[in-house]
Amino acid sequence: MAQQRQHWEADLDEELQDVDLAIGNYGQVYDDAQQPRIDEATLLAVQQQMAQQAAFSQIPDVVKRFIVHFHQAVLNNDLAEITVAYESGWNKLTEKFYSKTEWPEAEVIAPLVNDDQIFLILYRELYYRHVYSRLQPDIDDRFHSYENSCELFNYLLNSDGPVPLELPEQWLWDIIDEFIYQFQSFCVWRSKAKNKTEEELQLLAEGSQVWSSYSVLNVLYSLIQKSKINEHIVALQEGKSKEEIAEIVGEYGVRPLYRMLGYFSIIGLLRVHSLLGDFTLALKVMENVELNQKSTFTRVTACHVTTYYYVGFCYIMLHRYPDAIRAFVSILNFILRMRQYHTRSYQYDQINKTADRMYALFAVCNALSPTRLDDNISNIVKERYGEQFSKMSRGEEGIPAFEELFLYACPKFISANPPPYEDPELLAAYVEDPPVEPAQRHLALFLSDVRAQAPVPTLRSFLKLYASLDAKKLSNFLDADEEELVQQMMVMKQSSRSVSRIDNEKGLLNGETISTSDLDFVIDVNMVHIAESTVGRRYAGWFIRNTEHAQRVYDTIKASPLPAYNKAPRKPAEQQQPAASAPRTGGQKVAWGGAKVA
Amino acid sequence: MVSASAWAQPPTRTELIENLVSGVDRYNPNNVSILEDYLYHQIRSEEYDCLANLAILKLYQFNPDLYNPDVVINILIKALTSSPFPDFNLCISLLDERPIGLNPDEPDPLPTLLPLITSLHNLLQQCRFPAFWSLYLSEKAESLRDNYTVECVGFEDAVRRVVVQAVNAAFKRISGDRLSTYLNLSGDDLTAFVKNLGWDVDASGVYVIPPNPDNQIVSTVVQENIQLPQLTKIITHAAQTV
Repeated sequence: MAQQRQHWEADLDEELQDVDLAIGNYGQVYDDAQQPRIDEATLLAVQQQMAQQAAFSQIPDVVKRFIVHFHQAVLNNDLAEITVAYESGWNKLTEKFYSKTEWPEAEVIAPLVNDDQIFLILYRELYYRHVYSRLQPDIDDRFHSYENSCELFNYLLNSDGPVPLELPEQWLWDIIDEFIYQFQSFCVWRSKAKNKTEEELQLLAEGSQVWSSYSVLNVLYSLIQKSKINEHIVALQEGKSKEEIAEIVGEYGVRPLYRMLGYFSIIGLLRVHSLLGDFTLALKVMENVELNQKSTFTRVTACHVTTYYYVGFCYIMLHRYPDAIRAFVSILNFILRMRQYHTRSYQYDQINKTADRMYALFAVCNALSPTRLDDNISNIVKERYGEQFSKMSRGEEGIPAFEELFLYACPKFISANPPPYEDPELLAAYVEDPPVEPAQRHLALFLSDVRAQAPVPTLRSFLKLYASLDAKKLSNFLDADEEELVQQMMVMKQSSRSVSRIDNEKGLLNGETISTSDLDFVIDVNMVHIAESTVGRRYAGWFIRNTEHAQRVYDTIKASPLPAYNKAPRKPAEQQQPAASAPRTGGQKVAWGGAKVA
Repeated sequence: MVSASAWAQPPTRTELIENLVSGVDRYNPNNVSILEDYLYHQIRSEEYDCLANLAILKLYQFNPDLYNPDVVINILIKALTSSPFPDFNLCISLLDERPIGLNPDEPDPLPTLLPLITSLHNLLQQCRFPAFWSLYLSEKAESLRDNYTVECVGFEDAVRRVVVQAVNAAFKRISGDRLSTYLNLSGDDLTAFVKNLGWDVDASGVYVIPPNPDNQIVSTVVQENIQLPQLTKIITHAAQTV
C-alpha cells in the first residue's frame, strides 16, 4: 500500500510540472480487469457509453491512478491512506485540472472503481462539494446532490446493521457540514422566485420535498439516534467503563463512523436550528455536549469553530451577552494559538472568515454589555472594528453600526418554507410582494432590543461622574422628563443584569442572573446613589508574563552556542540588553491557564 | 427572578409535554393539539412554559396549514409578561412570513394585532409602564382585551410582576404616586397589592423596598484570584529546564 501511494504521489508531482496533459493515454490501470463490465454497459446504452468513453479518454492519467488508489484505500478502510487522498490528493488535482470545471462524472469513472456504488456515492459527495465551492451549481446539481446525500445516508442508516466503512473524522464532519451548507444554499436560491426559468419553475413545483427542512432534520436526528451519541456522552460523563459504554451504545454506536457522524449531527442541529431562527432549540440540542477544550468537537478544527460561532450567536439572541462573550473569547484565543499550524490548511480561509465575524459579534456584545475584556481579543477588535465600536457605545446614533455588524456577522438565515411554486397565481403574488428576507426579520428583532437600551450609554457616562445625584438634576442635564429618566434608569438596571452559566454547568440553557456592570446604582425616592467597582492591580498576569519571558531568555541562551572568545568583553549591563529583547521569536512558548479575575 | 433552568424546564411541565419538548415527537404535526391544549391550560392557570409554546410555533413554521392565529396571539400574550427576558422576540423569530392567502375565507386577526402587541412589548422592555397601561387600556387595544387578555387569567397581575421586578432592582424607596402609575393601581387596591409584596409604607406615603441583592449597592475592588493549578504548566516547564 505504502509503495503504491508513493507511486501515484510521485506521478502527481511529475504531472503537476508538465504543462501538456496526456490526453488519450489512458487505460493501463483498469483495462484488463474492467473490460467485460464496459461491454455490458455498451449493450445498455451505446450512445451514452460512447460519450462516456470520450469523457473517459479526457481524464488525465494521474487522475485515473488517483481514483483507483483512492478507491483501494476506501475498500481497505485504510484511514491514513484515505486521509492523504482526501486532504491532499484531491485538492492538488483540483488545483491542477479542475479549478474551473467539474471533476469527471461518477458514471464516467465507474469502470475505474469496479462500479463500486458506495465509492461512487462518496465520489459524488466530493464531486458536488467541488461544484458548490468552485463553480455555480445549476438546478440539476442541486437536486442530484440532494439525491446523492439521501443515498449516502440511506446506505449508512438503512443497511442490514452498521456498514463496515471507515472514514477520517475530518471527512465525516465535512459530510455533515456540506449537507447543511447545500440545504441552506438551496433555501436561499429557492426563496428568490424571480428570474427562474420555465424548467426550474417546473422542477421546483414538482420537487417540493427536495431539501425540505423535515428531510434535513430527519437525517440529523436519525444519525443521532442510531449512534446513541447522547447516551454515549452521558455515559462518559458518568465515568462508565468502556464495556458498559459499548453495551449502552450498541452495534452502531461502537463504530467510530457512526459515533462521529452522530456527534457532528448534534452540531449540525445547532446550526440548522439557528438558521431557522430557533435559538433556544439550537442550544437545547447541545444539552449534553460540554463546552470545553477537551470536548470531542475540538478534534476537527472546523467543527470546533462552527460550534462556538453558533453557540455564541444564539446566546446573543437570548440576551445572554456574558455567555456569548465567553464563547467568543475562548474560540478566538484558540484560533490565535492555532494560527501557526493552520496557515496551510485548505480550511484556513473559512476559519479566518468565521473568526472575523466573531470579532464583530464580540464588539456587538461588548457594546451591549460592557465587560472587562480579554486584552488580546479586545485589541484586535479595536483594530478591526474600532470605528463601529465607538459608534455603538453612543446609543441611538450607533444603531447603523449595530446593523452593519449584525448583517455582516449573522448566520445565513433561511425561511423554512418555499415560495408557492405549485400555484402560479400565488407565486405571481409572491413575486409581486415578496416577504421580508429572513436576515432582515432577525435584524429588526435584534435592533428592537438594541433600541430598548439605547439610553443606557449616555446615562452611564453621567452617572460615572457622581457618587449621588438628584434625579431632577440628572434629567436637567439630559434635557429629559424626570419620570422618563427614572424609567430609563430601570432599563439601565435591567441591562446590567444577565443570565449566565455558572462554572460551566451542564446544559447550555441553564444559568443564574449575574451582575454584568462595574457601575451600579439605586434610587432612594428621587436620589440616585452610585457605586462603582474597580479592578485591583493585577499581579498574576505580570508575574506570568515575566516568568515566561525569563524562561524564554533562559531557553535561548541555553540553546545558543558558546560565544567565541572576545578580547574586549562588553560591560555586563550591555550584554543583557540584546538578550532580553531577542528571544521573542525563538524559545519555547509556555502556555498557562487564563488569569481569571474573580 | 426565576433561574434559567426553571425557565427551560418549569416544574409544572408534565412528563408528556417534557417528552414532546425534548424528543423528536415535537416534529409530529399530530401532536400539535396536545401542545395547544397545554397552552390553553397555561392561559387558565397562570402557568408559563416558553419552550413548549415555541414547539407549537415550530410546528406552525414547518406546517403552515396548522397555523392558528388565536394560538399565536395567546403565545405572544404569555411571552409579553416574561419581559425583560427575550421570550417575545424568540417567539416572533419563529413566525415565518405568512403564506399569502392561505385561508382567504377566515379572517386572520394576527396582522392587525401584531403591531399593537409589539408596541406593548416594546413599552415593557423600555420600562415605560405608565405608557404601557395607557396603551393597553386605550380603545385601540379593545379587541385585544375583549377577545384575548380577558381569557388569560392574571394577565394584568403578570404585567405587575414585571413592574415589581424592575422596581425591586432599581429602588430603595419609591413614592406612592410613582408606584401607582407603574402598577395602574390606586387607593385600597394599591395598598392591598403592596401589602402582599411585604413592602412597608412610611408616614409620607413612600414605599420601602426590602433589601435584595440588586438594590444593595457596594463599591468593591475586584481582586484577582489565581489558583496554583493555573500555574502548573509554567512551573512544570521551569522545573524541566533547570
